[in-house]
Amino acid sequence: MSFARYKTIVASLAAAGALYGCAGNGNGLDSNGNPVGPGGGSGGGGLTADFQSIQDNVFTPICTKCHQGASAPEGLQLDATHSYAALVGVASTEQPSVLRVAAGDPDSSYIIRKLQGTPGISGQQMPFGGPYLPQSTIDVIRQWITNGAQKPASAQSIEAAVKSVQRFAVDSTSPDDGSIASAPVPQIVVAFNGNVDSNLVNNTTVTLESGPDQPVLFTTAVPTGNPSALVIKPQVPLSNGTYRLTLHGPLANMNAQALGSDVSLTFTVDALQ
Amino acid sequence: MITRALRYLLLPLLMLAAFEAHAEPYLAVQTGFKCGQCHVNPTGGGERTVFGNIFAQTQLAAHHIDTGSDVWTGELSKFFSVGGDLRAQAQVTKQPGSSSTDDFEVEQGRVYASANVIPGRLYVYVDEQVAPTSINREAYGVYWSKNHDWYVKAGQMYLPFGFRLQDQTALVQQITGINMTTPDQGVEFGVERGHWDAQLAISNGTAGGPEVDHGKQYSGQLSYVEGFWRVGLAANINSAAAGNKTAGGLFGGLRTGSVSWLGQVDITDDKSLPAQSGRQLATLLEANWRIAQGHNLKLTHEYLDPNRSVSNDAQTRYSIVYEMTPIQYVQIRSGFRYSDGIPQNNLQHLKIGFVELHGFF
Repeated sequence: MSFARYKTIVASLAAAGALYGCAGNGNGLDSNGNPVGPGGGSGGGGLTADFQSIQDNVFTPICTKCHQGASAPEGLQLDATHSYAALVGVASTEQPSVLRVAAGDPDSSYIIRKLQGTPGISGQQMPFGGPYLPQSTIDVIRQWITNGAQKPASAQSIEAAVKSVQRFAVDSTSPDDGSIASAPVPQIVVAFNGNVDSNLVNNTTVTLESGPDQPVLFTTAVPTGNPSALVIKPQVPLSNGTYRLTLHGPLANMNAQALGSDVSLTFTVDALQ
Repeated sequence: MITRALRYLLLPLLMLAAFEAHAEPYLAVQTGFKCGQCHVNPTGGGERTVFGNIFAQTQLAAHHIDTGSDVWTGELSKFFSVGGDLRAQAQVTKQPGSSSTDDFEVEQGRVYASANVIPGRLYVYVDEQVAPTSINREAYGVYWSKNHDWYVKAGQMYLPFGFRLQDQTALVQQITGINMTTPDQGVEFGVERGHWDAQLAISNGTAGGPEVDHGKQYSGQLSYVEGFWRVGLAANINSAAAGNKTAGGLFGGLRTGSVSWLGQVDITDDKSLPAQSGRQLATLLEANWRIAQGHNLKLTHEYLDPNRSVSNDAQTRYSIVYEMTPIQYVQIRSGFRYSDGIPQNNLQHLKIGFVELHGFF
C-alpha cells in the first residue's frame, strides 16, 4: 500500500471520528442522561451538597452498577430506596468500628475513605476498578456529611406529614422481602417512615429466625443521626438458608404510634462456599 | 536467556533497529513490535523484558546518561528479574459551578518480579501495587511451549481485550470494565503464530473478588500485526446470575511517518442493568506525534454513548498530552483533558490539567 493511500485512509478515519464524536445536547433528558417522562427525571441541576443531588448524580448513575439488589457488595444497596438508611450512622461491614457515614465528621466516614482510597481501608478504592470520583465530587459529599448528613428536604416534609396522618410503618428493608442474596448477609437494615422508639426495640419486638422456629442471635442498633432506621446485626453473617425477620406490632415511633400488626420479611441466602 | 556479553553485542543492534519502546501500545505501533517484545506479559504491560529495558535506556530518552559497562536489564540473575513503575502527579480539576480543586497524588507505585524457574519456558510473575494502597494486581504462572508459539497462564491476571492503554480512565476501558485495575482470576491460553496473535481467558468474572455464582467470564482477542499497521478483534462475555454482560471491540493501529495512530471501538450490552441502560458504545482515536527522540505529543478524542437506547446523551473527551523523556527511565507528562456532555450534568464538563512524573525501570 502506498504512503499516500494509507494517509488518505487515516485522514478519513480522523474526520469520521471528529464528525461522529459530538456531545449530546441533553434535550429531553434529566441530569443522569435518562429520558424525562411521567414520574421520571430528577429535574436537572449540578451536584450539590444535599442527599437527593448526591443520590441522583453519584449513587444512582455510578454506584448502583454494583451496589444494588440482594447481592450488593457488603449488602450495601445504594439505590434511592435503600441508600440513606444503609449509610447514615450504620457501621461498615468491612470495618465495623467505623460508620459508613458519621454525620458531621467526613474524615471518620468510611464512605469518604473508600472514595478517596485512604490508606487503611479494607478492599479496594471505590468505585471499584475506577474511574474514581474527582476530588471535587468527593468534596461535595464531604460537605453533605459536614452539614449533618441530612435527609432530602422533601423526605423530611413527607415524613412530617406521615407522622401526622399515618401510622408507623416500614418503608424498606435491605435485603428486600423475597430476595435471594448470593453472599453472606452481615446485617439487615430496616427503614421506617418515622423515628423508631429505641426503648421498644428488644428481642420480643424484633425476631429473626432461620427455618421454622430456629432463632438467630443478633444485636440491634438505631444508627446515630438516622433515627428512622434499625440495624439488625447477627452474631455471625447469615450463611446459606432462608430467614424470616419479624417486626412485631408493639414496635412504635417516638409519637407512640405502633406498627399495630406484625411485619415479616423473608429472604434467602444462597452463597457458594 | 541472554548473557551479559551477548547483551552488549545486541545493544548496538537494538540501537539501530528501533525507535523507542515503552509501556504504551502506540509505541508498539510505532516500532512494529508485538507487546511481548518489550514486556514479560505477552499481552503487554508490567515488567519489561531485557529488550524493553535496553530500549528504554538507549532509544526512549532524549539524553542518555552513560552508566559505563553496566547496563540495567531488570535481571538480577539468570532466574530472577524485577521492575517497577511510579506515577505521581499534580492535578487541577475544574467543574462548572464549583471552585477548582488541586492536589498532589501518587497515582500508583508498582513493583514487578519474575522467577524464571525454567528460563524461557516457565516463570512465576507478580505485579504488586505498593502505593497509594497495597494491592496485588497480578500473580500468575506461565508455561511457554518449546517453540514459543503457545502458552498457558494461570492465576490473577489482566484480561485480553483490545489495546492495554496507559490511561485507565479511557472511555473504551470504562464501558467494558476491563483495564489494569480490574484483573481477574482464571486461566489464559495464547497462541503466537507469525503475524497472528490470539488469547482466550476464562475467569471468575468478579474483577479479582470472590466468585459469587456459577457464571464465568470469557475474554479473548485476535490480532494481526504488520510492520506499520495492525488490527484486532476482541470479545468478552461475563455470565452472571444478575444478567450477562457482553462486549465486542475492534481495534487497530497505523504508522504514518512520525505519527502513530490508534483506534478502538467497543460496544457493550449489560443485561444486569435496568431498562437497557447497559447498551453502551465508546470510541477512541489517538494520534501520537514523535516530535523527536524523547518527545511525544499525544492527541486523543474519545466518545461515549452511555445508553444506546437514548438520544442526546453522548459524552466526549479531548486530551492533549506532551510526554518528555529527558533521560532514561524518567518521563514527565503534562496535559489537559476536556470533557463535554449533556448540559444538565456538571460532572460531564470537567476540565483537568495535570503534570505527572513517571519513573520506570
